Amino acid sequence: MITFEAVAARRAPLTLARLSLSWGPGLHSVVGTPADGGPLLLELAAGRTRLRSGRVEVLEASPLDARVRRQVALVPLEPPLPDALRTVEVLTLAATLRGEPPSDPKVRLAALGVESLAPRRVGTLAPEEARAVALAEALTSTRVRVLLLEEPLVGVDPRAVARLPELLRARGREGCAVLVATASLRDAGDLADDHVLLRGGTVVGRAASLDELAAFSPGGVRMRILVSDPRALLAALAAEEAVDAVARSDGAVVARGRDAPGLAAAVGRAVVASAVDLTEMRIEPPTMDEARGAVAGIATATYEAAHARTRSALALPSEAQPP
Amino acid sequence: MIAGLARPSALRLVRTPRSLLAPGAWCVLALGFALAARWRGAVHGADHVLVDAYAPLILPLLVYTLVGAVLGTRSLAASAAPLVAFGASPARTALAIVGVALAASVIAGGLLGALLAFVAHGAGDPPAARDALASAYACALGSAAYAGWFALGATLGKRGGGRPLLLVVDWVLGLGRGVMALATPRAHLRNLLGGPSPMDWSGRSSAAALVVLTAVCVLLGARRARAQRPPS
Repeated sequence: MITFEAVAARRAPLTLARLSLSWGPGLHSVVGTPADGGPLLLELAAGRTRLRSGRVEVLEASPLDARVRRQVALVPLEPPLPDALRTVEVLTLAATLRGEPPSDPKVRLAALGVESLAPRRVGTLAPEEARAVALAEALTSTRVRVLLLEEPLVGVDPRAVARLPELLRARGREGCAVLVATASLRDAGDLADDHVLLRGGTVVGRAASLDELAAFSPGGVRMRILVSDPRALLAALAAEEAVDAVARSDGAVVARGRDAPGLAAAVGRAVVASAVDLTEMRIEPPTMDEARGAVAGIATATYEAAHARTRSALALPSEAQPP
Repeated sequence: MIAGLARPSALRLVRTPRSLLAPGAWCVLALGFALAARWRGAVHGADHVLVDAYAPLILPLLVYTLVGAVLGTRSLAASAAPLVAFGASPARTALAIVGVALAASVIAGGLLGALLAFVAHGAGDPPAARDALASAYACALGSAAYAGWFALGATLGKRGGGRPLLLVVDWVLGLGRGVMALATPRAHLRNLLGGPSPMDWSGRSSAAALVVLTAVCVLLGARRARAQRPPS
């Protein structure tokens, strides 16, 4: 659905250098700060930024194609909306321009819980409300098949935030390609099924899950545990061999271990032993640098394994090392 | 579809009265000039007000502020961006927006021209009704050319900074009567209202020149807006 072939683009001071990527239906994320090129990547897919070289295809055509343009929705951090129109008028106009059958704008806004914005003029909306309206338009459009969202959980009306992940998953299941650009690994993990990690305009790597990256990160896996008595749990965790370190953070307990299953089992035993009430237990996403390091580590490990297989197949001397 | 594309710009004029403050102020100033000429009892009152005050000063600034109000004081591409985001054609959207600016300018400029000719009418001016009609025609043509001129200006620079630039260009080049003046609305409008003509062109030639200038500016503006990306 979205294909980048040797794409190069520039927006000072950032340069995207010969990116080749493709995404099909489903939920995908591009992880990196805006300076790494995520938002620029979305604009290229929406045909809003000029390419220096390479080719971008969306729905098997150029993103500038009139047919494609109507089926692509880009929601940046500050979405452009016609400020003189009321919210209901915006949704009606958008439906007309996209060539959709008419539907009740209030119902569309209600999908994100912001139907109370219907009579308001766009010019009077707070930036968070305007973003919620733009997201409601994009997510409830029957015509849109490619959704390009910049930081969908940031700067959005709180009523909409709670409903967004499920709505995005529903669009993914319907066969839409949802591409999220985010600087938050947690948001990427919550919203998408696969991740592309960008740094300074180049792809550092791809990963199917952030847990996988967490296992490879040099610091090990971190788990955040919310319990009724953190002090008792800390004491119990200290006795577990699979736990390398423990700490308290914002009322929760953070435990670090070498691998996720081992750490989860140790935390489970500690919870039972300390007889505390467990509220939440989740793997903490790695930091951006840890994730990038982990992706590089996976690539190196894969290369070394391939080298070892080739070496044994060709019966090379065992001391030969990969370069 | 075109009506749908033009609607947000038209509603911006109607629903944001603040944006009409500046055009309103220029209208009041023009009426002030006309009333002053009438009280003075000037023999060629309408002639003086239209040629010396309205055409060279007030009409360009009136249209400048009207185009700014329609565009929301942004570039043409930025003004079209909300509709382009919903899949509208950038060129058609730009044309629709410029169409609204053109219509508003023609109506305001033409009506005000007729009103000034009527109010400032002196004993030496042609019959009031005929003069008002001729003034409305000339001012409407001039307003259309200025609207296209400033719409083209709104495609220059990232944030439409070419609009004031073209105002200055019109001012500087349009003052003379040489070849350069032929490219500006000012010289032709002055000629149509009975002032000095550029390169001794006839009134009819200047009218045709204003129509051509309008068409060229509008099409060039739409073409440039299509190629431009709004600032992020």
